[in-house]
Amino acid sequence: MQPNLQVDLAPGRKRDLVLKNPVMPASGTFSWGFDFAARFDIEALGAVVSKGITRFPRQGNQQPRVAETPMGMLNSIGLQSVGLDAVIDDLAPQWSRWGVPVIANVAADTVAEFGEMARALDGLPGIAALELNISCPNVDAGGIEIGQDPVASGRATEAAVRNTDLPVIVKLTPNVTDPVALARACEDAGASAICAINTVLGLAIDTKRRRPVLPRARGGLSGPAIKPIALRMVYDVARAVNVPVIGCGGIESGEDAIEFLMAGATAVQVGTATFANPRALLDVIEGIEAWLVREDVADVHEIIGCAQPQPV
Amino acid sequence: MKLESAVVISNTKVYENTYVTWFHAPELASGVSPGQFLMMHCSNDRRDPYFARAFSYHRIDGERFAILYAVVGRGTAFLASLTGGDIVQAYGPLGKGFRLPGERGNLLLLAGGVGVAPMVDTAERAVAAGHAVVAMMGARSAAGLLPAGHWPADVEYITVTEDGSSGLAGRVTEALGEYQPWASRIYACGPNAMFRSLAEVLRHNGRHQRPEILMEENMPCGWGMCYGCAVFTRRGVRLCCKDGPRFNLFDVFP
Repeated sequence: MQPNLQVDLAPGRKRDLVLKNPVMPASGTFSWGFDFAARFDIEALGAVVSKGITRFPRQGNQQPRVAETPMGMLNSIGLQSVGLDAVIDDLAPQWSRWGVPVIANVAADTVAEFGEMARALDGLPGIAALELNISCPNVDAGGIEIGQDPVASGRATEAAVRNTDLPVIVKLTPNVTDPVALARACEDAGASAICAINTVLGLAIDTKRRRPVLPRARGGLSGPAIKPIALRMVYDVARAVNVPVIGCGGIESGEDAIEFLMAGATAVQVGTATFANPRALLDVIEGIEAWLVREDVADVHEIIGCAQPQPV
Repeated sequence: MKLESAVVISNTKVYENTYVTWFHAPELASGVSPGQFLMMHCSNDRRDPYFARAFSYHRIDGERFAILYAVVGRGTAFLASLTGGDIVQAYGPLGKGFRLPGERGNLLLLAGGVGVAPMVDTAERAVAAGHAVVAMMGARSAAGLLPAGHWPADVEYITVTEDGSSGLAGRVTEALGEYQPWASRIYACGPNAMFRSLAEVLRHNGRHQRPEILMEENMPCGWGMCYGCAVFTRRGVRLCCKDGPRFNLFDVFP
């Protein structure tokens, strides 16, 4: 028997968000989906998550934008983006032909702009849900200074939820002392799901130049190096909220994903692993399925949260 | 793009700290255009380093291909230590390669240092297509030059060294001399400083030669996913791995 992998990330909402399996790319590690679709079966994925959509096109940051670190990397891409109009006019119509839900990652500069962009994307064929990016560490406005404050995070969530019937996922930063407060604020403001985590702030120094490697000094750490941090946050957040949690951070195998599911995640995002292994997303899906078969688990829901003190 | 295990056939030091490694990998060796690259993992378990490294195709022979690289870090040191039968994981071909002209022409290939890697495959294909080919390679000294025997016999090979220990003295862009007006097309691979001075030299009398360059940036992924390898061009920001690595010289160095 094939185990059931299907999950719903917006149960009981105006619009559901049913995924055939609990695996999707992390925003910003999958471009707009077309490079993957040209080479692999995109409909094998549970969902697609777009790169961060900004209100206007953005060039992104200067070079160098990345620094390799042990089992991971620091990035400071700076939300290079085609902008909202290109998504509406060019990309969403193409996404609408894919048999896989596409989650639009929205990176606004202000609380009000989250509302405007949510309204602009509401009801657009090709977009199944929004993921609010309130946690990008590599831009001057709109990212982390909203995402580190529970009140501002709640207001951004509310602004989006008020302007769309689409499920709204909020992606949290790990760069806070109390992620649970953030998650609760977003849930109270109407978020359908919480995604944890975005990148961990880090730094690399070029000893030859005696300067930070990245022009903005700080960058976002990702990759297997951050998996324990992400797992801890998922474990804490999943216990504190009633909405589904999407786990993200260092996942590169089915076994990694199973850990996040056991910690309480209903689905997972695979990010940096895709850079090291173009097949990583497919490997994770196949790995989850193989694990469930091997362990004789008929439905993925049987293991979600099973590692919690009391199952969530 | 194909993912494949590449089996080492041979590994040879060709000069200074620079190696040529031949692999057997039918998928990786097929459908490659000159100037394209592949991503190769430089460890046995894909753990350390975590990301693959980008290498130009140096030569292709049926189901086999070669890369040429200087040992500059952990990854390339690992590759230099490989011996026949060893296996590495790789994916490719990737990116956009040179556009060789359809009609017969005089092609001038310029290589700065390890930028010579893609130029031998380019020269082999150009010669096979009936083009006249001059290849110029620049290095600090004679020890840093690819030996002449590595080029196809029909290629005129000009060496340029900064210390004058072999061939012309100076830098490639200073030594173009009579070859620049001779050329109908110009192709180059080397450091950005070389491209910058090439643009200086060709700005006024070389635009019709439509010079193409192969650029290098940090490429964690190699297939347009990470946006790490941005190149800022006259036409907007591009990704070196996906939109390049071939660019029009004057788009990047106007």
